[in-house]
Amino acid sequence: MMQRVNPELKQELLKYGVKDWNECFHCGNCTAICPLTENGSLFPRKAIREAQMGIKYSLESNVDPWMCYYCGDCSKTCPRDANPGELMMSLRRYLTSAYDWTGLSKLFYKSKAFEILAIIGIALVVMVLYLLFTFYPSGDASQWIGADGGALINKMAPWKRIHLGDWLLAGVLAFILITNIFNMWYKIILRDKNLKVGLWDYFKAFMLLPVHFITQRRFAKCDDSRSYWYIHLFLMLSYIVLFTMIVFFLEFFQTDTVHPIWHPQRSLGYIATIGLFVGIIYFYFNRRKKNRENSKFSHYTDWTFLVLLFLTTLTGILLHFFRISGMPQLTYITYLVHLMVLVPMLTIEVPFSKWSHLAYRPFAIYFSKIKIAARAKQNKIS
Amino acid sequence: MEEKKSTVIYFCDTLNGKTDVINIPEVKAYAEKLNGVAKVWLPADVSLNDPVQLSGKIKEKIYKKVIIAGNTPGMVKSVFSKAMVLDGNKPEDVFLASFYENGIYRNSDIERAKAVLSCAVYGINFENAANPEELPVNNDTLVIGGGIAGIQASLEIAASKNKVFLVEKTGTIGGHMAMFDKTFPTLDCAACILTPKMVEVGQHPHIKLMTYCEVQDVKGVPGNYTVKILKKARRMNLSTCIGCGICAEKCPVKTPSQFDSGTTLRKAAYIPFPQAVPNKYMIDESVCTYVANGKCGICVKVCPVPGCINLDEKDEMVEITVGNIIVATGFKAFDAGKIENFGYGKYPEVLTSLELERLINASGPTGGKIAKRTQDKKGNWVFNQEDAYTPKSVAVIHCIGSRDENYRKYCSKVCCMYSLKLAHLLKEKLPNSEIYEYYIDMRAFGKGYEEFYNRIAHEGVNIIRGRTAKVEKSGNDLIVRSEDIEGQKIIEQKTDMVVLAVGLEPGEDAAKIAAMLGINVDADGWFNELNYVSDPVNTFTGGVAIAGVCQGPKDIPDSVAQASAAASRVLQSIAKGKIKNSLKSITLKEIEDRSVELSKIMEVK
Repeated sequence: MMQRVNPELKQELLKYGVKDWNECFHCGNCTAICPLTENGSLFPRKAIREAQMGIKYSLESNVDPWMCYYCGDCSKTCPRDANPGELMMSLRRYLTSAYDWTGLSKLFYKSKAFEILAIIGIALVVMVLYLLFTFYPSGDASQWIGADGGALINKMAPWKRIHLGDWLLAGVLAFILITNIFNMWYKIILRDKNLKVGLWDYFKAFMLLPVHFITQRRFAKCDDSRSYWYIHLFLMLSYIVLFTMIVFFLEFFQTDTVHPIWHPQRSLGYIATIGLFVGIIYFYFNRRKKNRENSKFSHYTDWTFLVLLFLTTLTGILLHFFRISGMPQLTYITYLVHLMVLVPMLTIEVPFSKWSHLAYRPFAIYFSKIKIAARAKQNKIS
Repeated sequence: MEEKKSTVIYFCDTLNGKTDVINIPEVKAYAEKLNGVAKVWLPADVSLNDPVQLSGKIKEKIYKKVIIAGNTPGMVKSVFSKAMVLDGNKPEDVFLASFYENGIYRNSDIERAKAVLSCAVYGINFENAANPEELPVNNDTLVIGGGIAGIQASLEIAASKNKVFLVEKTGTIGGHMAMFDKTFPTLDCAACILTPKMVEVGQHPHIKLMTYCEVQDVKGVPGNYTVKILKKARRMNLSTCIGCGICAEKCPVKTPSQFDSGTTLRKAAYIPFPQAVPNKYMIDESVCTYVANGKCGICVKVCPVPGCINLDEKDEMVEITVGNIIVATGFKAFDAGKIENFGYGKYPEVLTSLELERLINASGPTGGKIAKRTQDKKGNWVFNQEDAYTPKSVAVIHCIGSRDENYRKYCSKVCCMYSLKLAHLLKEKLPNSEIYEYYIDMRAFGKGYEEFYNRIAHEGVNIIRGRTAKVEKSGNDLIVRSEDIEGQKIIEQKTDMVVLAVGLEPGEDAAKIAAMLGINVDADGWFNELNYVSDPVNTFTGGVAIAGVCQGPKDIPDSVAQASAAASRVLQSIAKGKIKNSLKSITLKEIEDRSVELSKIMEVK
């Protein structure tokens, strides 16, 4: 198929964190050293080629950047110091914005100011809504404090109302993310007219989605010590635990009585919090020390995610601490701050930015498998 | 004469991003003071994308003359020429001050950079302004290094009946070429070309051959150098040794042979190889037990010539005076063990190209039979004739240590061609085996080389574009993993033997020799020539010429050509009876004064 070269693509990609790929002389070392590449899905060199030549169409339908988990072997052994691993990382940012039909992702990735303004804006909206709904209908704050002087959160922010807010937000974000996945599907498979994929093909590979979502098996292959994978997995599972408890079982999670420490509400919460904290600190020091290939270069959006996640965790811990130590005023203020960090983080990161990889990674593996299988079948027929 | 300030200097971009380069602010400050210089531009000051815009800038200030300074100023000349024409100026009024071309690589050359710049400002050729005085010349010549370049240069000079001292570090001349089996692209036998020349050197009445010697110190001026040479103790008398070899036969100490690239063992009393010149035995003092602790001495007892072996001989210092010096110190092969991914030193089936060169050579350790490398009792990995086998496939991996930012950045130039040659030789020995070549770019750069490449490709060698990333062992097989770029797939090739085409590096003594003789070295350690394009033989030290690989990677024909060129420079001075003093004997002030003087003469004309 004839494709048009887009000479402006380079300038575009530089904003997503691409370093100077002109160093590359296409020796193929990166592809050969990669522990994950396989026939039918050759990377990173192919993507470098597409980026160098400015073939936007190919680049946008290239699923390979998602198949890379950035172990950094390619960058370490690259004879030209062309940082192929970092190019793949930058292309993931680029693809995230390419899949996003709203165009907001592009703005977040290209403009630091826009991202910060968006965070502040969403936080203010959260504040207004919070004040509006907690003081409605009575507006009497005196009944939020119990007889023993402890906090009565469910009086101030009844879990039913918070659930309503949770589900509304989740609905909106899920809608955007799912439509983005459709866009990804279109770009990777549907618009390739030569690719014939039957319904059965989709069905056959379907199990890849939950398996890779939960285990990130490919990621484990990337590192001999697997420490990076363990910590990421612990972080992710911790988040899932907290997410499930808060979004589906808030009645159980947000109580006014203080349970004993072995109660699942508290013990599960503590373990998950440790998981989050360990992960955040580990990733923070990696990015600070730049001692791993994949933490050598940090785009500002990488930091935004880390900082927001850190603040969310921190305010969550404080919130819990104030509640169990019977400090109602501080509890309520921290509750507000917690929401003011959490909601912007979810809104920006999940459908538009770094966190969208939770969906794009497994779907990429799924689409890639389907594509390779379809190509193999076609080759056999022809 | 106060000229109107109408000259603009532009420092081009190519200096950026490199370490240890000319200090541009200092040169800029110097340039601003030069006569007639109105403005100095740095790359950030002007955009070179559009000649029209540039011409506007030039016209605005009525600049009449542009000087482009930098490593490769010619790269941006065209845009300035266009801009000058657009302004109604003459395109000839764009002058270049090329640092690189004049051998200016590092900040230590900053005075010369200024001199080149000042000559450009006055519109004078650097060669004309920097014209050193002439000195009388001693007709004797010193050649350092007895490889093919040193041999060629010595023979050329000696042919004119002028005396040559040929100093060689090891016990024999011949260098790396003596180790090779065939030469590319003609597939001539290397020894058949080299050994007659070696013998000629050994017998030539005008060549004083000094093997197992090292140059220690050089003093004096061009045309009259006093050279101190350390004559290392051979512990055998060169004139009485009859080369019978009984000493080596009886000697109890074994050590890896350098000549065979360590793939076989020789004795402590040894001759480097059977065709060595001089064809005399010597004692390796680093392993001889008598030298170490005074015990043994068997060789003295068995030697049929009384008094020939003197194990107590000491090193001595010799002093000679010469007029010219030719440096031809060659290279050392890249140490493949530095790169872990290829398994060199870990798997015995992984060889370097030099080791294969010896293995495949009919005069090599196995008589030219392909053998498995085995470990002997003392732990040395050696080739034995009994271990001959037929590998089903052999993979040759190009660019080991070359073109790699982590090791050597440059292309070693010869590896592609010698790898093809090795593929041919392997195919000749193993007609039913598969030979694979993994390359980044195929650099068939010379006359007949592309044809050679085509020939090898048609012989059925699998030539695959893609740099090998790693060699791993699985069972008895080696697995070579590469991307096949043309076939768009990943290859995990099972193979029995892997050959690493190692690149060339400056020799271990290169830095010492450069410091001793005052030769500049470039960032990679190769010796710098006087002018990259027009004088690749002379150096900034008068009376010191360079030849062969020590100046930069090159193949045998180029080394020979450069050696002849170096010899012609020497003979030029001998024929004339005069030699020019070193360029660095002239100060910046003298060059400035002379260029002012010359520019006045030009104006009068």
